[in-house]
Amino acid sequence: MFNFKPDRTQYPAADADGKLEIDLETGKYLKLWQGPNHPGITGNMSVELTVCGDEVVEGKTHVGYLHRGFEKLMERRTFIQVFPIVCRVCVPEPDFNEYCYAAAVEDLAGIEVPEYATWMRTLILEMGRFNSYMMFLGGIGGALGLGITGQWMTYVRDLMLDRFEELTGARIYHMFILPGGVRGHLPEGFEARMEEVLSTAERYLDDIDKVMFSNSVFKTRTKGVGVIDPKLFEPYGVTGPNARAGGVAKDLRKDSPYLVYDQLDFEVATATDSDIFARATVRRGDVQTSIDLIRQILRKMPKDGPAMARIPNVLHWKIPRGETYIKGECSRGEYGYYLVTDGTGYPRRINVRGPSYTHAMALLEHLIPGTNISDVAALMVSLHTYPPEIER
Amino acid sequence: MGLREVLTPFTVWKHVFDEPVTIKNPIGRPAADRYRGFHQNDMASCIGCGTCEAICQNAAIDMVPVDGIETRTGDSGLRPQIDYGRCCWCALCVDVCMTGSLTMSNEYTWVDTDPDAFRFVPGLEEPWKDDEEGYEREGKRVLSGIERIHMEEMPPETRISNFEEIVDGYSRAEAILEADRCVECGLCVATCPAHMSIPDYIAAVRDQDYDRGLEILYETNPFSEVCGRVCTHKCETSCAALHEGDPIAIRWLKRHIVDEVPFDRRLELIGKPAAPTGRKVAIIGAGPAGLTAAFDLARAGHGVVVFEALSHAGGMMRYGIPEYRLPYEALDRDIGVIEAMGVEIRTNCRVGRDVTMDALRRDYDSVILAIGLNMGRSTRVPGTEGPGVEKAVDLLRRITDGEEVPVPERLVVIGGGNVAMDIARSMARLQMQKYGRVGVTLTALEDIDHFLADREEIVESREEGVQIFDARGPQEVVRDESGAVTGLRTWRVKSIFDADGRFAPAYDEGDEQIHEGTMVIEAIGQMADTSLLEEALTEALEWNRGRIRIDGAFRTSEPWLFAAGDAVKGPDVINAVADGHRVARTVMDELAAREVMQ
Amino acid sequence: MSEMNKAKLSGKTTIREIFETATEFEKVAHRFYTALIPNVSKDIRWLVEELAEEELEHVDLFTKLAKDPAVEAVMVAEIARPVADGKFSDCVQTPDLGPNPDDQAVLQYALMRESAAMDQYTELAESTPVGPLKDAFVFLANEETKHKAELEKIYYEVVHSGGV
Repeated sequence: MFNFKPDRTQYPAADADGKLEIDLETGKYLKLWQGPNHPGITGNMSVELTVCGDEVVEGKTHVGYLHRGFEKLMERRTFIQVFPIVCRVCVPEPDFNEYCYAAAVEDLAGIEVPEYATWMRTLILEMGRFNSYMMFLGGIGGALGLGITGQWMTYVRDLMLDRFEELTGARIYHMFILPGGVRGHLPEGFEARMEEVLSTAERYLDDIDKVMFSNSVFKTRTKGVGVIDPKLFEPYGVTGPNARAGGVAKDLRKDSPYLVYDQLDFEVATATDSDIFARATVRRGDVQTSIDLIRQILRKMPKDGPAMARIPNVLHWKIPRGETYIKGECSRGEYGYYLVTDGTGYPRRINVRGPSYTHAMALLEHLIPGTNISDVAALMVSLHTYPPEIER
Repeated sequence: MGLREVLTPFTVWKHVFDEPVTIKNPIGRPAADRYRGFHQNDMASCIGCGTCEAICQNAAIDMVPVDGIETRTGDSGLRPQIDYGRCCWCALCVDVCMTGSLTMSNEYTWVDTDPDAFRFVPGLEEPWKDDEEGYEREGKRVLSGIERIHMEEMPPETRISNFEEIVDGYSRAEAILEADRCVECGLCVATCPAHMSIPDYIAAVRDQDYDRGLEILYETNPFSEVCGRVCTHKCETSCAALHEGDPIAIRWLKRHIVDEVPFDRRLELIGKPAAPTGRKVAIIGAGPAGLTAAFDLARAGHGVVVFEALSHAGGMMRYGIPEYRLPYEALDRDIGVIEAMGVEIRTNCRVGRDVTMDALRRDYDSVILAIGLNMGRSTRVPGTEGPGVEKAVDLLRRITDGEEVPVPERLVVIGGGNVAMDIARSMARLQMQKYGRVGVTLTALEDIDHFLADREEIVESREEGVQIFDARGPQEVVRDESGAVTGLRTWRVKSIFDADGRFAPAYDEGDEQIHEGTMVIEAIGQMADTSLLEEALTEALEWNRGRIRIDGAFRTSEPWLFAAGDAVKGPDVINAVADGHRVARTVMDELAAREVMQ
Repeated sequence: MSEMNKAKLSGKTTIREIFETATEFEKVAHRFYTALIPNVSKDIRWLVEELAEEELEHVDLFTKLAKDPAVEAVMVAEIARPVADGKFSDCVQTPDLGPNPDDQAVLQYALMRESAAMDQYTELAESTPVGPLKDAFVFLANEETKHKAELEKIYYEVVHSGGV
């Protein structure tokens, strides 16, 4: 199955550089733009498809619709002022930015984060991962015309946003993990309310299993489609669930544990087929892991303790010259912040490493030829990419 | 794939009977208790420090004047105005707020047709002004340091037997940590009489650029080494950091800068005075006001001669403040820099005795009178006349001059100001040296909370064994048949001020005490010795309730004569320094004007 | 013991006598301060001048009252002699403050005098029948109270709080 080789005989030949010679004048080919405004697109980007009948012969990914210049903005802000903007880099799972940035600053400034805060950070990250998967499970159904999954998952996500709201004071951009620790403690009765959300989620996920994973239409359209050859994982920088769906049990939570993951019991979900279906099942497994982890964290985390380490006065916080790379396993794979400091009060350079960059651009371009037009949306969603994080 | 997978999906039709989960009308849905909604600001506790404005990464906050809120010590009178077109709701402004006045409600819907409405000053009229819910930071602020870095001091049992300096001064590491706490709001600059650039020199400490720090100090204060030790540091009473913690140790940081720059380097940094102008100015009194004026005038190229009646320059800095607070070498270095500017200080030269005012008027282009308050007042209660009753300023002067002063085993001090503490602690040291124990009783009209002395003076006096009896009104110095002092009789002060805050002492005559001691030292008020003016000039000058009348620019009613310092304004070194600068400015302006006239 | 002092022991007095003592009290004070002005150094002359001016206002008030028929009508009435009367009457005798008294000496004397006057007028205001004279005593009592408070403030500033 991994030797997926589309029958290219009907398509134009590639030249020596591997480029296709497509002559639109022949009328045999058509350019079709999927996005930037398209329900099957995972955000503001577009794929320029060249189709021949309903077969896609070539797909070019285009980004740039969402460039906000975050990395440059960060260079013009003090270390504390960067904190409110990092979450905006990635809308659906903002907390990873907060964590990676905070941890990078703490690493270079030599700050030890209190234990309570590390547990709280883990909790927040798992809640964020849960929400990100809600968007995936809703989106993958939607891409294949199964609209109801989107409605259910949005509802469940909304319940989790309520928990975010009461814990962090905001629904989307939580701005809760800041250099030095976290901004507060659990509100009273939080565990019980969280349990309600998790059990509701489990009920709806049962239904997802029935309506989607046990659905012959869904299976037919996703099995064997969009297969990524595991040999491509290394050269294309494929990480996270996309890799795990191809049998490579890569997960930074296990491979290089950060925060309190080494104190938590969990298994990494994997699959073997490396197709759209396999990627969806891995995420279905992962969301259950997140639910279990949230329960575990709430059970195991200290009841009290300082939320913040002692940090220098943030108004003129200078960090000695240095560089560091902080990574973590987000819902899409390896997410990381590379921070360079030069002894001044401003970051010299911050580079955000998001998994979407490789997955949504090079990898997608590679996977598209030979697919059916109607599968492009599902293929794209199955890679679980967030264009805001590509463009920073 | 079988029939099961075709049918299973249909089982979810059960949801057809679910209640809809959509909120039909989201307007009015209450947000969580912690929600970061619209801002609130407690106008009364806000001090307008602008730290919120400084931290806001969107520049959404502007500090603006607000009707009904006045500028006062420790309050800029400005209040934050927030632009919701820019705000990103991060609440760093709430977290960094120095007083905790800025919070957020959990209100999040606001409809208005006027776009300008969303740029508003929270705390005035908005409907959510007094809402209880909403984001507040947990506990005290964590984004800037709360606790002052401890200053090492000689312990009481060590320091009481000598006159060595008590305070160690910060190490570099300590100073950096203390300087780090400053939020650079600048409220202190407005409070400092000399308007020293405090946040700037504190920044120099953080940057470890002591040369820059010293240059900043000398822009406003040639007595930084002195002030770094004995300034009354009113700046620290307006420091934004004091609201949820300790004020920044501004005085110690100033001292730290001077301590870190060797004297020769100091001279290098200050450089040479301007080319001589040929003008000459006489200054009477080598205290902080006179010498500051001398420094400024000399730097501008004017010839300056300072006339000092006593044997050394420094005035009250030398003859009033004891050595354990201000070592003479520290003072000598500050004066050394001033002399290096070409200022001539003629000591042991008393105007009125060794040189007349008329001669000064004749020989110099201008004369500045900076004579200070060097005569002690007496309570004049019965028994104060005669031996055994001393005035604090006289004794302090004699101690500085190395004269033998009478040191009894037990003595009583009258007064609750810094001079009273100075003499009590000086005498305590002498007693320790002579008898091995301290026997000083201090009585004052004021209750302890209204003592004019600095807090630390009171604390340290007590540590050194000075017994303080507050709210005691002296009635009589008790003497035995031979006329020798045996103690001080006092009544308890029931109240010292009336309802309007005016001095109107009421005594409880039933609560009488005799404080034993064979010496009584009066350390109440002080006055200027204006006898050097002699009768003709005294008559010619305009007076203002006992002090020479000066205008806002320190001119007296005589065009050639200027006056500054404690004798006309008071009451401390930093005020005298500020006066010195201003009178020098006026004199320079006058000299320049005369240049034009000729 | 003078005739006058003997009379003071009787416990009763007439309004006329009180009135005359009070008038004399204010006149003496005015004369005393006026005479003192040239004898003090210029730097404290403001103090003595202010005191003289205030006393003159009081003298004027008494002169006006004496011409008031309503006051004349009650002059012979007997009232209780104020307890404070002794101290008050003593103030008619002026002290010798020396050739060139300083501010503290002047202030101490003025304070003592204001204190006596305040007690005297307060008591008189209570025992005088309702009428213009009572109004005058009430006014004077208030005036002297204010003066005393004002002088005490000056005293504290001049003598006690110069040294910090």
